[in-house]
Amino acid sequence: MEAWATLAVVSPSFDAWRRTKSTFMNVHGNSESRYLTPHAMETFTVLQPTSSTVSFTVSTRPALRTIPTRLSYYVSIIIKILLGALALVALWTKWRTSSAKPTAIIGWMLGDALEVWLVNTVNRVQWMYLAPLAGAVIYSVSRRGYTEESLLVLSSLGLQTRTSAPSYLSTSTTRFIPSTSIQDIFIHEAFKGFEVRFYLAIVVKGEEDVVVVFPKLLPKREVLEEVWRGARACLYGGGDAPAKEKGKEKA
Amino acid sequence: MPYNIAMVCDFFFPQPGGVESHIYQLSSKLIDRGHKVIIITHAYAGRTGIRYLTNGLKVYHVPFFVIYRETTFPTVFSFFPIFRSIMIREQIEIVHGHASLSNLCIEAILHGRTMGLRTVFTDHSLFGFADAGSILTNKLLKFALSDIDHVICVSHTCKENTVLRASLDPLMVSVIPNAVVAENFRPLSQLSPGTHQRNAPGPPPRISPQDPITIVVISRLFYNKGTDLLIAAIPRIMALDLNVRFIIAGSGPKAIDLEQMIERNVLQDQVELLGPVRHEEVRDVMVRGHIYLHPSLTEAFGTVIVEAASCGLYVVCTRVGGIPEVLPGHMTEFAKPEEDDIVAATGRAIAALRAGKVRTELFHNQVKQMYSWTDVAQRTERVYDGISGVLSPDQFYQGVGAAGAWTATRGRAGVQSFALIERLKRYYGCGIWAGKLFCLCVIVDYLLYVVLEIFAPRSRIDLARNWPRKELPDTNTKSKDTDMTKAESGITRKRSARQRRERKGEPGDD
Repeated sequence: MEAWATLAVVSPSFDAWRRTKSTFMNVHGNSESRYLTPHAMETFTVLQPTSSTVSFTVSTRPALRTIPTRLSYYVSIIIKILLGALALVALWTKWRTSSAKPTAIIGWMLGDALEVWLVNTVNRVQWMYLAPLAGAVIYSVSRRGYTEESLLVLSSLGLQTRTSAPSYLSTSTTRFIPSTSIQDIFIHEAFKGFEVRFYLAIVVKGEEDVVVVFPKLLPKREVLEEVWRGARACLYGGGDAPAKEKGKEKA
Repeated sequence: MPYNIAMVCDFFFPQPGGVESHIYQLSSKLIDRGHKVIIITHAYAGRTGIRYLTNGLKVYHVPFFVIYRETTFPTVFSFFPIFRSIMIREQIEIVHGHASLSNLCIEAILHGRTMGLRTVFTDHSLFGFADAGSILTNKLLKFALSDIDHVICVSHTCKENTVLRASLDPLMVSVIPNAVVAENFRPLSQLSPGTHQRNAPGPPPRISPQDPITIVVISRLFYNKGTDLLIAAIPRIMALDLNVRFIIAGSGPKAIDLEQMIERNVLQDQVELLGPVRHEEVRDVMVRGHIYLHPSLTEAFGTVIVEAASCGLYVVCTRVGGIPEVLPGHMTEFAKPEEDDIVAATGRAIAALRAGKVRTELFHNQVKQMYSWTDVAQRTERVYDGISGVLSPDQFYQGVGAAGAWTATRGRAGVQSFALIERLKRYYGCGIWAGKLFCLCVIVDYLLYVVLEIFAPRSRIDLARNWPRKELPDTNTKSKDTDMTKAESGITRKRSARQRRERKGEPGDD
């Protein structure tokens, strides 16, 4: 009975850790991610080089503003390149040795000692193990590790959505929608997995489905509202005040 | 004090029905009173995602697997993550479930209590105690209602039934009847709201023995709606008075029996079968008759007889369930649910009409004064006040029981404790095996909640924006009410204009 009683006392205290720091993304680039969950480490940047062009970017890329973070970032890139190169060289060597062709080029480039060591190591490992191992290394090395999605609005021309590719080996997917075929931009909600998320969508003339902006990250409502206002202001020019009112209705 | 309320039910539009329209009408009136209301239901064909209805009523059509008669598959816990997400983003304080056969509602009440929300349940139907299906349903209801803040029933009979089925304390069950939108059910003589006949005495209309009397029956043709009684009674009523016509609307498994009866007795000229009619067409069918016959065997409330009376029909109905509470004696002729008595009662009703003893033309205004959704919303609001502690228990229960006398129930019926141990105590009493099983369910639910709080923290869930409310010029409640009635009359005027147009188009069809 005692134990039950303590449980009863403890349970309402959820509120305390429930109301931890509220996640709020830093608008206009000055991001500082304090959260352990990778999901919340989104940064939002607005770039407006001219008055008729504005680009909104949402990214999970870690911000490199302190020297240690920048250093570790560059070091990790170097390590990635080295590992990738090693995997490729190992594959090439295996191919050359198994088909009894000379591998002298490695000797010229890296020195004979390294060539001998490499050839010996590679010969000891069978194709069966080497190929998947190298493949896995190349795959993991080529991962970007972050997603970056952006919306570029060009006044009187149209807008372009871009989603970064998951790996360095492929290019990002972009889509340009001319302003003549944009019928509407709106924010709405939808069920996604086990939760309800906001999304910004563009209605394109002649298409059955809407185009979702930031389809992978689906940022927070505050961000979407900012993008929505900015995009409308840029596309339809000067329609800011009524646009704001409409935004309240739709959101 | 405005609340954020979530109505949860498996049954909602586009499916037609009494529960559905109850939820809709109640929600829109609550919104008029300044609350925020959302509706959670499952996805229907062609209705998915999140939608807005009139006046910013937000409807979540949760994608769920439907098994039987638009009820979702009972997977006790799978609804929780999405439910929690909705509750947090809409900042819900009160979960209001409807209809005991709705699995979504029962789950929502369980999860709502786990999340520390106030819960209310409205029961719309009567159930038996004897057959296997009822026993199972009753056990499930007992589970859902073991830990609930308040229960609303549509009639006193329904209240008795629910109290017995779920072993509740009668104090925590309120009776709030359904209502009708009286403006949609006007008699023929009252087309526009301007022509009030309240103080127009005149002699009561008589129907001479040569004029035909039309009896209307609108119901789904099921066993529990008394279609068998109807089938047996029609030839005998015909024999009683030669100038009687029947109009029967509705469909169901008993339709074939009805057709056979008509053919056997060669009554094609006197009995008109309309088949299924839409709810907005019901009024146009009703005003064609003089008497409404309702032979139902069980009924929790019987909205349809209120609608019939509102249309100016004299009502003949069986004395079952909540029906006797619904209308005053001068509008109805009661019968026992048996063939002889229904025939006798119908005979009495016909005689009364022919003698001009019944002032059916006054029924509409009387019904209008008795039933309104605004009143239902007001009373529901009082329940919300009571459970969230705005009203003290003494006020809420109007001094029933002295302070010390009801402590055992106050724990349940008063402002309820959310502590897990208190909740487990309530569930444990449900039965020898069931009690333990229910406790297990509650504990698993609680653990699931803890896991969700860790892996999908509240801070990451966006809050939804509220529908912008139009600020009323005066905050005084009285002027608010008049504003509302003005708005209502505006709506009705529009609606009646549409009806008139429809009616103009109709004679061609006839």
